[in-house]
Amino acid sequence: MLILSRKTSESIIIDGRILVKIVRIEGGMVKVGIDAPSDVPVHRQEVFDEIQRNNVEALTRGRPALPKFGAPRPKPEAPPPPPVVQPVAPAPDPLNASTEGDKADATRPRKTRTTNHRTTAPGQTDKRKTQSET
Amino acid sequence: MKCAESTGTQTLTIKPENIIRIPQGLLGFEQYKEYVLLANPEEAPFQWLQVVGESGLAFLVINPFLVAPDYQPEVGPEDLRSLGLTNPQDAMVFNVVTIRGAGQVTVNLKGPIIVNRHTLVAKQVVPVNALHYSLQFPIPVAG
Repeated sequence: MLILSRKTSESIIIDGRILVKIVRIEGGMVKVGIDAPSDVPVHRQEVFDEIQRNNVEALTRGRPALPKFGAPRPKPEAPPPPPVVQPVAPAPDPLNASTEGDKADATRPRKTRTTNHRTTAPGQTDKRKTQSET
Repeated sequence: MKCAESTGTQTLTIKPENIIRIPQGLLGFEQYKEYVLLANPEEAPFQWLQVVGESGLAFLVINPFLVAPDYQPEVGPEDLRSLGLTNPQDAMVFNVVTIRGAGQVTVNLKGPIIVNRHTLVAKQVVPVNALHYSLQFPIPVAG
């Protein structure tokens, strides 16, 4: 590294086209003026280093899988649960205890399930599924 | 001059009018001066800034205003001049995204890439107010 001593208002010229001037010295701070062609980037070293390091971290080779961008719009609502259809069972008469049938069966709800994909009637095979397997 | 580039899944033909030129290169990658911006609708709003001539080498980028609507990088007069920008409408801005471990994705708001949308000349700029912005601003992603 070339070390030069300069006083306030004195300058250094680099490559015949980049001028570095000591503008002010105050306490521990030096104000530096730089006159350089527009194609010459000039940065504070620490910011330059940070951005450079970040670029190196960010560089990808090939195509990694990307996460889904998640904001600012809210996530779509989960589909509502399927409706539960309960058979209308006669209320047990506390005065006349019933001995018929299985009380548990009568009160257990029967669910009618609707799904996004096709439903098959009981006893039928899912022909579409079979076709996709062939 | 057309050239073919492979992204690994497809070969694309790049027309010279789609090439973004970064005369000073990105910081740390000054040797790469030509890029194309690739967008897969399934990956939106992320886009790829792919190096021309270096198959597979690319930077993930994003429009920063989608994650930081108040983002206002102050581009210095020398940078504006070197990009030939006189009107803010002529500028496109995008920022480098880093995919980190554990589902974390961040964007560098300290060093935006400013593109003149008419000439497709670009520069990674250190804005005058760079210190106000984060190098690793978190991007919300679906878990």
